[in-house]
Amino acid sequence: MTDKIMKKLSFRNMKRSTKDYLVYMLTMTLVVALLYAFGSLIFRNGLEQYFSMKLQGLMGVMIGLATFFIMLIVSWLINYMVKFMLERRSAEFGIYLLLGMKKRTIAGLYIRENFLLGGVSFLIGTAAGILLQQVLMAVMFSMVQMEYRLSIAPDGRTMLMAAVCFGGCYLLALFRCKRKFKRMNIQALMNAKRRNEEIREKYEYGKQFLFPLSVFFIFLFWKMFGRLSSTQQVMYFLIGLVVTIYLFYLGLSAFIICYVRKGGAAVYKGQNLFLLRQFASKMRTMQFTMGTLTSLFTLALLGASFALMFSDYENSVLDGKFPFDVQIYSKNTDDDFAEEKRVIEENAAVSSFYSYHIYTDEENTVNTWMLTHLQAWGAMFRNGDGTPDEAAIERVLRDESGDGTYYTYDTYMGLTDYNHLRELLGYEKVGLGRSQYLMQIKPRLEREVRKIGEELRIKDASGRGFLSCAGILAEPFSQDGHNGADYVVVVPDEVLGRMRPYYAELVADLDGQAPFGLQEKLEALLPAGESEEALYAEGHVAGDICCGSDTIINVVELNLVRDNQLPEVKYMLATMIIPLFYIGLVFVCVAVTVLAVQQVSDAAKYQYRYEVLSRLGLSRAAMERLIFKQLAAWYLCPALLAVVISGRMILFASDRFIMMTGVPTSVGGFFGKSVALFLGIYLVYFVVTYVEFRRNAFVTAQTGSLHLLQRP
Amino acid sequence: MSDYIRICEVEKYYGSASNVTRAVDRVSFQVDKGEFVGVMGPSGSGKTTLLNMLATIDRVTAGHIYYESTDITELSEDALSDFRRDNLGFVFQEYNLLDTLTIEENIVLALTLQEKPKQEIVAASGQILKLLQIEDIRDKFPYQVSGGQKQRCACARAMVNRPRLLLADEPTGALDSRSAQILLETFTDLNRRMEATILMVTHDAFSASYCSRILFLQDGKIFHELVRGEKSRRVFLQEILDVLSLTGGVLSDDR
Repeated sequence: MTDKIMKKLSFRNMKRSTKDYLVYMLTMTLVVALLYAFGSLIFRNGLEQYFSMKLQGLMGVMIGLATFFIMLIVSWLINYMVKFMLERRSAEFGIYLLLGMKKRTIAGLYIRENFLLGGVSFLIGTAAGILLQQVLMAVMFSMVQMEYRLSIAPDGRTMLMAAVCFGGCYLLALFRCKRKFKRMNIQALMNAKRRNEEIREKYEYGKQFLFPLSVFFIFLFWKMFGRLSSTQQVMYFLIGLVVTIYLFYLGLSAFIICYVRKGGAAVYKGQNLFLLRQFASKMRTMQFTMGTLTSLFTLALLGASFALMFSDYENSVLDGKFPFDVQIYSKNTDDDFAEEKRVIEENAAVSSFYSYHIYTDEENTVNTWMLTHLQAWGAMFRNGDGTPDEAAIERVLRDESGDGTYYTYDTYMGLTDYNHLRELLGYEKVGLGRSQYLMQIKPRLEREVRKIGEELRIKDASGRGFLSCAGILAEPFSQDGHNGADYVVVVPDEVLGRMRPYYAELVADLDGQAPFGLQEKLEALLPAGESEEALYAEGHVAGDICCGSDTIINVVELNLVRDNQLPEVKYMLATMIIPLFYIGLVFVCVAVTVLAVQQVSDAAKYQYRYEVLSRLGLSRAAMERLIFKQLAAWYLCPALLAVVISGRMILFASDRFIMMTGVPTSVGGFFGKSVALFLGIYLVYFVVTYVEFRRNAFVTAQTGSLHLLQRP
Repeated sequence: MSDYIRICEVEKYYGSASNVTRAVDRVSFQVDKGEFVGVMGPSGSGKTTLLNMLATIDRVTAGHIYYESTDITELSEDALSDFRRDNLGFVFQEYNLLDTLTIEENIVLALTLQEKPKQEIVAASGQILKLLQIEDIRDKFPYQVSGGQKQRCACARAMVNRPRLLLADEPTGALDSRSAQILLETFTDLNRRMEATILMVTHDAFSASYCSRILFLQDGKIFHELVRGEKSRRVFLQEILDVLSLTGGVLSDDR
């Protein structure tokens, strides 16, 4: 009988908790679903088999890393909620003690309830996770342009991982609360609900200056962030920022308290007095939590923005990176590519081969122009007076650092070769006068090189006169080392007479798709010392091949097979995008849950306050407006601060990202999109909170106020 | 001298060495089996502190409290839990019912903690529900019934174990006068028919007039005692009011 009624008690308590903490339950369910869906990528990643060895396990590592950070935050949330619910129910536990229940028994009851709550979330979450995992896989397959067939089946290892992570968080939280039970005292428990909220107001006058001070720091942060030049400075600024985030709320609440005390004009308008006091006291008791929430929002916004940047790159730039079906580089200018041709023909239907040379005049006029004019290099290769820093240019072109940006000498291509390649790509052929040259450049750099024609002096066939620039073309042309790095100068064929071949290239036009693994087969032909792995091991990212001014994302391959390479790069990008979204999503949900739960569970306390206001003659409509304002201020405060802080960093990063990768988005685009995404989630939680809060706050009218006072 | 419940030289101090508040100052009295004792006094006189010490909710600073031969001031925390379960019943101003359990289940819970057999539990709860006239609301949840009914349920839960002592702290504080009267009559009934020993803290003279003996507390000390004896309730009430007028009346309860 005892057991039966105890079970009934814990079950009913759990049911009540579910109702009171609906938002928390929803978030926990969502977290389990995400944990399962993303976690499955560690154990059952259907895509990985299609990619080369160096990508094996990469997704697992990235997701694992993301999961680690997510679990830190989730365990904070669970711990926070378990403690919070415990405090809310102190009077109830007081009754248990009075009835003669032992502390162990009560702790057991509470732990059982929490396990029930967690269990329900886990079961629903896993079921949702299995479906979500299919959606995720479909998205990933479509990201790398492959077809996905649904296969809905639970995966034991993923489930075990989700259970261990989730259960571990619960156990940790419950272990900590068991200690709390030990220290409990009946009298304090019984009196807990009778006590008024303790409003500690001390040294408010001094504290209020923290508010303008933190606003000033944030202003300074906006002004200075782009100009920080050393890691040390950035570290100092970030530490300052974290301190500011935490002190902001202390300052804000003191500022409001002082304003109210001073009797500022706004205090006497409408229900402002009530609102301001309510807001200030809640901010004061929650200041530390609010700081943490702001940090979470900031990180979520950063994560989402970076994910959007990579995803934009993938969607708009990447396809243009590999215009040819197959393209092979050889530093041996006499290479006839016989072996490569044989391998390609054995594996795919070839429509045509075309081999050609890139030439050089063994000067570096164009390279120097690029290094001194492109935004990507800034002032790295200029002296104080704006003239080229010859020594630095010499160093980078001699490739002493081994980072392979530009070839040692300028790169040229003959008009016939050029037009042949254009034809292969479906571009229009171009014509050139005898004393003209063309600049073929990466699409990203088009705007930056407009003046290059006026400034470059390229010698004609005789070596005595100079060619004039007939134009700049910027279609995708495989310029990450194959057709030059960043650029290739197209000259009439006779000009090549005074140059020497620099390296050889082969392109193949295929009928239909290239088979999986062709690129690896081609790589196997490389002499042992020149294989990609060997070059990586030596610290030469690129070996002999140079990729130009692209940073952040570089794809440098001697042998390029588009249908092999494109999915691989996309997959690699996905290993960044997916964990970043994953982290952003969970962080926002966790943070909004804390906001929501704080308000909804306070509604019982507010019932009394609203009842008082109602007795003082406030209409129902006015009260609803008041609730809306109260919740809106509560929700907006940490979000606004996070938007302001992350905004600076995101705008800075977007600016750089756009400059370095050439994505066609405006600087504010990524920030705008991630804020919109974030506000979407925010709005859902806000509506749920508002509806719940209203329901709780107006329950008085139906059940009478005694009921309110009685609820533990 | 009866040794049913003896309170011997009990003291309770609060605060630090430099600033001591004597909430209860060397109080001694006895309660006989079947007595209905009231404790009255102005705010801050130490009534609730005294009740909490008798209820094992609070510990004494010095002195002893004996329930027959058991000195509860010497018991460990676990032993105190068992002692509360087996010997004490509580009725507070705020009812303290568990709102996830029905009226009947609230009563049953107290019995199940004593691990009694099912038949006994069902019989005992049925009997007390009937005695306190709350049978018809047995399946309702606390929020569905009136304050008076809730308080009678709390009473039923407190009495269903047949405790040695029923402790009531301002039980009528949140009730209207009609409900308060019904509850006090219930107490009297329990006291007479079940021979319940009751200790009630109140600041309300009307409630106190139902007791058989009243202790008046001031500044932590007993300063007066009234025994009802064979007097009518009306006469007893007048006596109480006279004592209160001497002390300037009682305003509100202390917490």
